[in-house]
Amino acid sequence: MSAIASSDRLTAWLNAVLLFFAGCVVMIPTLWMVLSSFKQSFEVTAYPPTLFFTPTLENYVSLSETTPFLHYAFNSMVVTTASTLLGLILGAPAAFVASWTRITWPAVVTLVARMAPGTLFLLPWYVMFRQVDMIGSYWALILTHAVITMPIVIWVLLPFFDNIPRSVYEAAQVDGCSPFRVFWRIALPLVTSGLAVSAILAFVFSWNYFLFALVLSNSDTKTLIAASFNFIGEGSTNWGALMAAATLIALPPLVLAVIVQRWLISGLTLGAVKG
Amino acid sequence: MARTLSPRGQLLGLSAPALVFTVVMIAFPFGYTLWLSLQSFTATGMTRFEGLGNYGRMVSDGQFWNGLTVTFYLYFLSLALQLFFGTVLALLLFRAKKLPGIVRSLFISPFMMPPVVAGMMWLVILDPSLGAANFILTSLGLPPSTWLASPGLVVPTLALIDSWQWSPYVALIVLGGLQALPPSVYEAAEIDGASGWKVLWRITLPLLLPTLATATILRSVDLLRFFDLIYITTQGGPANASTTLNIYGFRTGFEFFQLGYASALMVTLSVIVLGAVLILNRMRDAVAW
Repeated sequence: MSAIASSDRLTAWLNAVLLFFAGCVVMIPTLWMVLSSFKQSFEVTAYPPTLFFTPTLENYVSLSETTPFLHYAFNSMVVTTASTLLGLILGAPAAFVASWTRITWPAVVTLVARMAPGTLFLLPWYVMFRQVDMIGSYWALILTHAVITMPIVIWVLLPFFDNIPRSVYEAAQVDGCSPFRVFWRIALPLVTSGLAVSAILAFVFSWNYFLFALVLSNSDTKTLIAASFNFIGEGSTNWGALMAAATLIALPPLVLAVIVQRWLISGLTLGAVKG
Repeated sequence: MARTLSPRGQLLGLSAPALVFTVVMIAFPFGYTLWLSLQSFTATGMTRFEGLGNYGRMVSDGQFWNGLTVTFYLYFLSLALQLFFGTVLALLLFRAKKLPGIVRSLFISPFMMPPVVAGMMWLVILDPSLGAANFILTSLGLPPSTWLASPGLVVPTLALIDSWQWSPYVALIVLGGLQALPPSVYEAAEIDGASGWKVLWRITLPLLLPTLATATILRSVDLLRFFDLIYITTQGGPANASTTLNIYGFRTGFEFFQLGYASALMVTLSVIVLGAVLILNRMRDAVAW
């Protein structure tokens, strides 16, 4: 009996060691990025690399002085916030109707946007937006990013709406409540946590999306992610500033992800896995 | 206004904005690309019906075959790595029982950061002359590597970076599957005196197959369209060794402005992704319990 108990303790110990090692592998590259962003320029390319150094904000300062970083950050905020709102406005009522009527094939059609490569849409969009002279405008970016956000909102909200007992709807209808009112007054207040999760996921994916802004933005409307490409060009001479940019760009999605981590997995797998 | 509409009309009204948006921004462009893929463009910018000419051109285009090979090489290598590391990590997390929320946040952080940022970060770490990765290798007495700079290593390196980002995602999916397994199965195995490895191979992993299939589908959709990380780190190089079909299609369209041929390439890639999803879905149904 005690032999089994001690072998159990051994596996538990081994398990903890392996988990710690895995945690290090996951964490260290990100920590290295953040550390490098606080190094002075001679230190960041030092070989062998240094672990202990006097931290400096020099890189962050030079980023805002030598590049329009704040302007790009503002563009990212505008495009991401607006496309998240648009995704919610379009997606929330659609998810409600899909749940109510049990007709989900239109929602499945939106998944085409998730499966087809972005370039497939970018080619016709480029032609379409050129026709109406919208290339380089915020609206072109907001509308195309809503193609990312709307399916997220629909598929994250669908199980939340499905969880509302049918009897709630039926009672409301007996009282003469129209579908509009049921949606606005009853269903929507019951799925507020779903709205929060879908909004945050939509925000993160819109923020992280690279390809559309790469082609459809101009120097005035360029988002941070699309501008990353320029930072790399400049970064070949200045790693510190490059790592400072990378850290700042990664910050909003990471902060938001930590807030909703509990619900994240079921949302990220479009409900395929319960979190 | 609301009173004059029938409930049916109101439901349609609620879904109308999303339906219109889907038609204008998703369905119509999809059809337009299909149409573009059947056209060729003359020097004056006029289109001329080509039929399947653009698709025929692919067959004799070495770049297309290179793109297809790179796409599948990168796909299978990344998928295998992520399923392996993801499952191992999930088993470790499952056995640790009590996990503080901070640990979960830690494992979420790689795949929540933009792939573009992951690319910037690893470019610096994997720099052949000054990067930290080669410092670690040489400190361990191993030869330094050229990583992304060599045609032979670029795909495995990209697969490693992507696996760093997405293995934790697979792990959290598999962890969900593990937590959903009925405990009665384990109890029965324990009474029969089955060893830990036997339980893992004969019971846990077979029961996890549907979850692994789900993870495979979700990762396949992204891996077959691999783009951001490559565009940021190598732009398809060196010597086209990391030019996936998606990168090739993008360059054909937006660098060489051959819209017809680029459309045909993207339609082909879409068919590959959709086909893979359908096949994998079938496989998931086959292993369901």
